[in-house]
Amino acid sequence: MALTLMLLLPLLAAIALIAIPGESTVERGIALGSTVVTAVLAVVVVSGRHEVDVPWIRSLGVRWHFGVDGVSAALVLLTALLTVAVVAHALSGPIPRGGTGSTFLGCVLLVEAGALATFMARDAILFFIAFEVVLVPMWVLVRRFGDDHVADETRADAAGRFVLFTVLGSTLMLVGILFLVHHQGTSDLAVLAERHGAGLSRPLQVAIAAMLLLGLGIKVPLWPLHTWLPSAHTIAPTAGSVLLAAVLLKMGTYGIVRLAVPTVPEGVARLSPVLALLGVVGILWGGLACLVERDLKRLIAYSSVAHMGFVALAIASGSETGLQAALFGNIAHGVVAALLFFVVGDLKEQWGSSDLHVARAALRDKAPRFGLALVVGLAAALGLPGLVSFWGEFLALYAAWSPAPDRPVALLRACVVLGAVGLALAAAYALRVARIVWAGEGSDAAVGAAAEPVADARGPRWAVVMVLVVVIVVLGVLPHLLLGLSDTATTGLLSGLGVSP
Amino acid sequence: MSWIVRMIVVLPALAALAGLLARRQRSLASVIAVAVSACVAVLGLVQWVAPSRTADITTIGSLPLGDLSVPLHLLSDRLSGLVAFVVALVVLGIQVFTAWYLRDDPRYGQFAATVSLFASGMLLLVQSGDLVLLLIGWEVMGWCSWLLIGHDSERPAARRAAYKAFLVTRVADIAMVVGIVALSVQARSTDLMAVLTASGDDTLLTVGLVGIIIGVAGKSGLVPFHDWLPDAMEGPTPASALIHAATMVAAGTYVIARLFSLYAEHDGARTLLAVLTAVTMVYAAMLALAQTDLKRMLAYSTLSQVAIMLSALAAAPAELGPGAGISQLIGHAFFKALLFLGAGWLSVLAGATALAALRGRLRPTGALRWSMGMGFAALAGVPPLIGFFTKDTVIDAALEGATAGGGLRAWLVVVALFVTVALTAAYCARAWLLLDTAVAASGELPEAAPAVVAEEHVAVVTTADSADDAEVERVHAHGHAAITLSAALVVSVLAALTLVGTLFLTTLRGGLHLGLVSSLLSLLLVAGAAYAVWSVSDRGRLDVADRIPVRVRESAVRGFGVDTAYVGIGRAVTAVARLVVVLDRDVVDAYPRATAVVARAAGRAGERGHRAVPSLSLLSLLAGVVLVAVLGVTAWR
Repeated sequence: MALTLMLLLPLLAAIALIAIPGESTVERGIALGSTVVTAVLAVVVVSGRHEVDVPWIRSLGVRWHFGVDGVSAALVLLTALLTVAVVAHALSGPIPRGGTGSTFLGCVLLVEAGALATFMARDAILFFIAFEVVLVPMWVLVRRFGDDHVADETRADAAGRFVLFTVLGSTLMLVGILFLVHHQGTSDLAVLAERHGAGLSRPLQVAIAAMLLLGLGIKVPLWPLHTWLPSAHTIAPTAGSVLLAAVLLKMGTYGIVRLAVPTVPEGVARLSPVLALLGVVGILWGGLACLVERDLKRLIAYSSVAHMGFVALAIASGSETGLQAALFGNIAHGVVAALLFFVVGDLKEQWGSSDLHVARAALRDKAPRFGLALVVGLAAALGLPGLVSFWGEFLALYAAWSPAPDRPVALLRACVVLGAVGLALAAAYALRVARIVWAGEGSDAAVGAAAEPVADARGPRWAVVMVLVVVIVVLGVLPHLLLGLSDTATTGLLSGLGVSP
Repeated sequence: MSWIVRMIVVLPALAALAGLLARRQRSLASVIAVAVSACVAVLGLVQWVAPSRTADITTIGSLPLGDLSVPLHLLSDRLSGLVAFVVALVVLGIQVFTAWYLRDDPRYGQFAATVSLFASGMLLLVQSGDLVLLLIGWEVMGWCSWLLIGHDSERPAARRAAYKAFLVTRVADIAMVVGIVALSVQARSTDLMAVLTASGDDTLLTVGLVGIIIGVAGKSGLVPFHDWLPDAMEGPTPASALIHAATMVAAGTYVIARLFSLYAEHDGARTLLAVLTAVTMVYAAMLALAQTDLKRMLAYSTLSQVAIMLSALAAAPAELGPGAGISQLIGHAFFKALLFLGAGWLSVLAGATALAALRGRLRPTGALRWSMGMGFAALAGVPPLIGFFTKDTVIDAALEGATAGGGLRAWLVVVALFVTVALTAAYCARAWLLLDTAVAASGELPEAAPAVVAEEHVAVVTTADSADDAEVERVHAHGHAAITLSAALVVSVLAALTLVGTLFLTTLRGGLHLGLVSSLLSLLLVAGAAYAVWSVSDRGRLDVADRIPVRVRESAVRGFGVDTAYVGIGRAVTAVARLVVVLDRDVVDAYPRATAVVARAAGRAGERGHRAVPSLSLLSLLAGVVLVAVLGVTAWR
């Protein structure tokens, strides 16, 4: 009951908000109230491991089958709690221009509903439907509410790219799902995981795995399918960037873990060298691009490509430690990217652009709150031990060094060395940003408005940023809060025992 | 007892948090910093005096990670107790000294909090019984060093030095991470005890041990990673003291000492370490002789001394254990903290750190003069100060290694050690003569306008002197404040420790191990080198380093252009990065764009195909077909 309510509440609230145009306190109340209630429900659902399973579309055999298990618990919480932060952040400032406030909030809620449903779907078809729900609202957020400093065409290009890339991805994924469902005769993910690829010939497994990995890889995004991400991130409003990085990208890696790894294990094993290589190329490619990127938001987008590369590498290892690392890295990147996008979004709002080559006053003394949040975010982005990202990355390297028996050891070990090089690149670009923005490299040349210090974070915005900082530190110091959630689940996914809620 | 070990790690971290929250209230921040480090020092003393020998002190519980066991245990024995105590002592001294030294700095609170966090990182590393915890402490120190070196982030040189320090050490850490991963894969566990007892894959062991040596080379400043350290003098002097004395730079020694039983069995890895340390100790000692800035001279001497610690681990025979290296670590902690804090004090008095500006400034300073004298004597290895004992313990261990079948590796270390002993005595004598000989010829005391003196008298004005600028600026901004009693006491206590600190080493296995012949030989070398400097410098009236040809000296002061090499590597990586951006735009993204173009063209073609008005004949044909069909159907019925 709580589960269905949790899924329907943001959906209905979103429909209500989009239906009632305008911008009054009522809409704001609806948006904030429904996200808060959803978050509370999410905590209830996760702690009680709720599940719901009723017939839905009888003729297709599709069931209304949602549930939480170790693999999805952390993601559900992340999505629900982060949306509260996004809405609180949006309400405490001007709504981006481009449409009414209620449309904006409605889209945010719709993304939340879709993401929650994706993470909880226990049926492959249902997964696909939920996966698609987020597409249009996100398009609206980028297209209508995107950065109004750039030409309309640029916004259209970014939003169009986002939609076309992801639609291509989900189409491929759909073909893969249909193949799978056709040959296994069921779309129930638990059954599919239990069969563990039994009854599928190896070439068929490879074909299905290829389609699923390719389709979901666009969403992750894996190199070289990433080119939609930087432009979407740059143009999207803060709320859009945060949701995109923290929630939408996670749907890709989660999809791989949920949909591909347990159902077509042999196929995934066959393709894991490719996955590892693409992941590592992404790590290096993203890290290098960040070294010279001028636009701060684009830079963080490229760093996302690098971080998701570690997740891909961890999945490719095929070991239990690897899956743990992947799920941990997923959450870690979600929190860190959210923090960075909140901070950078606010800065961009005040600066009018996020060009690093414009000389500006340093944050360090003039805006210490932003400064602290930025420095913590960057420290986490470079994988500083004691902060959340370290565990995902270190464990990914460990897992890739000692992969499952059927993986190419030499190749994966080479990938580990290159991935470690990526850690040094991450340090270089993170400190580059810190040196320019926080310590004020070149700030002496700042003139006019750029020489004025930015107004520091205040009120709900400061609270949002602070909560994320605390989460980054706490999960970094106590990683088993997260690892414990997904522990037994990963064993099930790999051994074919299925995942008990 | 295990709570003491935990507290030693946790308390400084909490102090860092509290200090950060209380950064606006200066006095509160300094009370937190000093009080907590005092507590930690007391706890460290307890742990050292009454060590609980245990390797399974739980921290946050073991991590559920499938086949990898990560118990995250702390470990406590006499070694960790001693090192933790010394670290805590030095940190306490630095915190007390900082409260005076940065008395007018608006960022004092942040600085003190960072020092606390740094201490927490080092203490975690010392107490860790788990490779992951070790790595955490290791990197936390690196991050704090970035903050500390870049403390005066208004100055471009400080920003650059901080960036350089973190980046160079992080590049070395690539190998460190891979090494730790390899060792844990071999043991299927990150627990130190499991790693030490794991047997099996030789390749993994080699990768692990060599990787850790490279990582250590980064943080400890072995060639070719050494050049970040002299630049790190851009940080305020207490930060330099902290980084150099007992923590980050020396941490590598402790790490390798913990893994010593693995290294003792592995000749290849130890040979690498021996070559790196031998080269570094001689090279850095030679550069120290040529420096024009007191702090940079001390930095090069740190490089040389840390290489001595590590060389003990490279050459000592397996049965002797890592005691000699740790003993040098502890001795160095005392006298280097003393020298740095003394240099900080002197620089406040004189308003500069350039040796030319400091000439003769030590003479009228009483306690400071005595303390610095003891510090230099300890560094040079004059008995009965601690430096003599620790250095000769290292030499003796290396000799024993050489005679016990260590071969070329150990002999290389022995020769390098003797050369370094002579060079160390020479640069200490030079520094002492410069600082202590009254500038009588001109008759005027350099009291007048110290900053101008600094600029005019510096023989070689290079970028290397910008550490001096920091000091000059600081004094200009805040004036020559008289030292507080507590800060002066810190320096005096450290001076006393260079004398009595030797007693600490008696509890360490293999910590004091002197050979008669080698001690006599090194004494002879010290005396000879000091006398040579004394006579060449005409009893301190000249600077010995002025005898070096100007061009050689200039490039020596600049570290022989290693920085240029680093910049070159940086440029190369940036060039690759630019290429990546171009490829990203013009190749990877070309396919989507091409698809868009093709789709649009197809759409246009399709549109054109449909735009034309159908011809009359086609229409009548269609009408005819429909008519025939209708007729046919009706007729059928």
